[in-house]
Amino acid sequence: MEQALVAEAQDAPRTADIAFERLYRSSRDDVYAYVASLLRDAPAAEEVTAAAFESAYRKRNRFDPERGEPRAWLFGIARNAALDELRRRGRQAELTAEPADVETFGGRGDEHSERRLAVAEALERLEPAERELIALKFFAGLANAEIAQVLGLSESNAGTKLHRAMTKLREACDGNA
Amino acid sequence: METPRDDQLAADLRALRPAPRPEFAAKLDERAAAGFPRHTHWRWTPFERLRLALPSPRALIPAGALAVVAIVAVSVVVAGGEPASEPNASGPSTGGTTLGDLHEFDSGSSGTVEEGAPTTGALPSSAAATAGSAEAGGSAELEPFSRKVAPQPHNRAVERSAELVLAAAPGDVGDDSAKVFEAVHAHDGIVMSSSTREGKPGEAAARFELLIPSAKLGDALAALSAIDEVRSRHEATDDITAPTVAAGELLADSKARIDSLLAQLEGAETESGREAVEAELAGERRHRARLRAQLQHLERRADYSRVLVRIETGGAEESSGGGAWGVGDALDDAGQILAVAAAVTVVALAILGPIALLALLAWLTHRAWVRRERRRVLS
Repeated sequence: MEQALVAEAQDAPRTADIAFERLYRSSRDDVYAYVASLLRDAPAAEEVTAAAFESAYRKRNRFDPERGEPRAWLFGIARNAALDELRRRGRQAELTAEPADVETFGGRGDEHSERRLAVAEALERLEPAERELIALKFFAGLANAEIAQVLGLSESNAGTKLHRAMTKLREACDGNA
Repeated sequence: METPRDDQLAADLRALRPAPRPEFAAKLDERAAAGFPRHTHWRWTPFERLRLALPSPRALIPAGALAVVAIVAVSVVVAGGEPASEPNASGPSTGGTTLGDLHEFDSGSSGTVEEGAPTTGALPSSAAATAGSAEAGGSAELEPFSRKVAPQPHNRAVERSAELVLAAAPGDVGDDSAKVFEAVHAHDGIVMSSSTREGKPGEAAARFELLIPSAKLGDALAALSAIDEVRSRHEATDDITAPTVAAGELLADSKARIDSLLAQLEGAETESGREAVEAELAGERRHRARLRAQLQHLERRADYSRVLVRIETGGAEESSGGGAWGVGDALDDAGQILAVAAAVTVVALAILGPIALLALLAWLTHRAWVRRERRRVLS
């Protein structure tokens, strides 16, 4: 019995490691997509993504499941890292943002690509906070409850804001069309 | 081009999702597999760099506790090594006291000192000079006070007294008493009274009331302390400068008055006038004699110290002044150590508290500022 308890205690860190590895595997691309949409700078997004995972790894034993979902916790860390990077760079992010073109979306010049180009341009015209909501939803694939945790909002408030952002995006697409 | 429907818009958005380069993904996977070694191109702020360089707060807790324990331990050791310099301080006495352990007072105010309050002060040369006159005995012709050298610096007249309690085996009381007489004689002291009682432990005892030349009090106490185990030692001082000076001035006035009366006597022309002056002169001479005796008494009090020596037998608990170190003494010592430790802790808290508060305020301010700035980035 005692040996089992000791073994369990020794296994505790490993459990955290395994859980973090799962989180990493399931979230790596999502975190990068979210950070890249915030920064709009691929090299910086790579650095910030790596730093966010590193920071989360160091804090993995401090994660409290009662306070939220692991993905929400991880995206909260990534969000802070990305905002800090934006804060450091000021408006530099906008200056270095690469303009989207048809080539980016397949280069075929068909209706499919043009529509996506229009959506990308409409996305660029949104407020940063709105763009972030859409990134969390569609790039990172978070549920509304997780988005609410990341942004420190209520779930209903997050849903409302997301709905408004989508409406605005659709209107912007209408304008492009 | 048609306006995208919701599901189509969602699909388009997902298609726009930025994807990491395979090289980056592979490199990140490697770092994840290695447990994210501390090697990054991330541009940390100085605050973040400092936070990374420092160990985690949990790791600092034992280090901080160790530091506090070390501070307290050092303080207790330092405090324990210092003498109890306050008057009336008490503590377990130890034998083998030397001359250096005796305390010399140079202040005018009265005070006491217990055994265990060593000083390094030596007898002043003036005191040594006074010893010469004191050794001449109390019967020596009284000199004017102004020419007398007081036994203390700054010509202060200080009366000193001491009480010494020795612990002895019942069979040693007689020998120890003899040694007391020898020590008194060796230091030109006077045994005012003595009593010795033989008997069982607790009954056998001796008591001596001594007068020791103040200049030799330190040596005498050292010699008396060496006779047997010292259970307690107590010294006291009383400044008698003011009454001594006043008596000297009154004596000088009286002498001047007598000189004046003598002059009047020589000039008296009538018998009745002569008788009146003689009567006044006689009265003034009696007054002068009283003043001289008073001054002599005061100076003798300064020149000679009263010392009470008691030799006791039996357990330490039977003596009034303690004795061998026991449970009670241990509890007293433990209490003192705890009191010192508590005092040191309070001082440490008084120093560290404001620093910690400032650090906390700085941290909270920084945190609030960072949050505000993060909000502002997206606004």
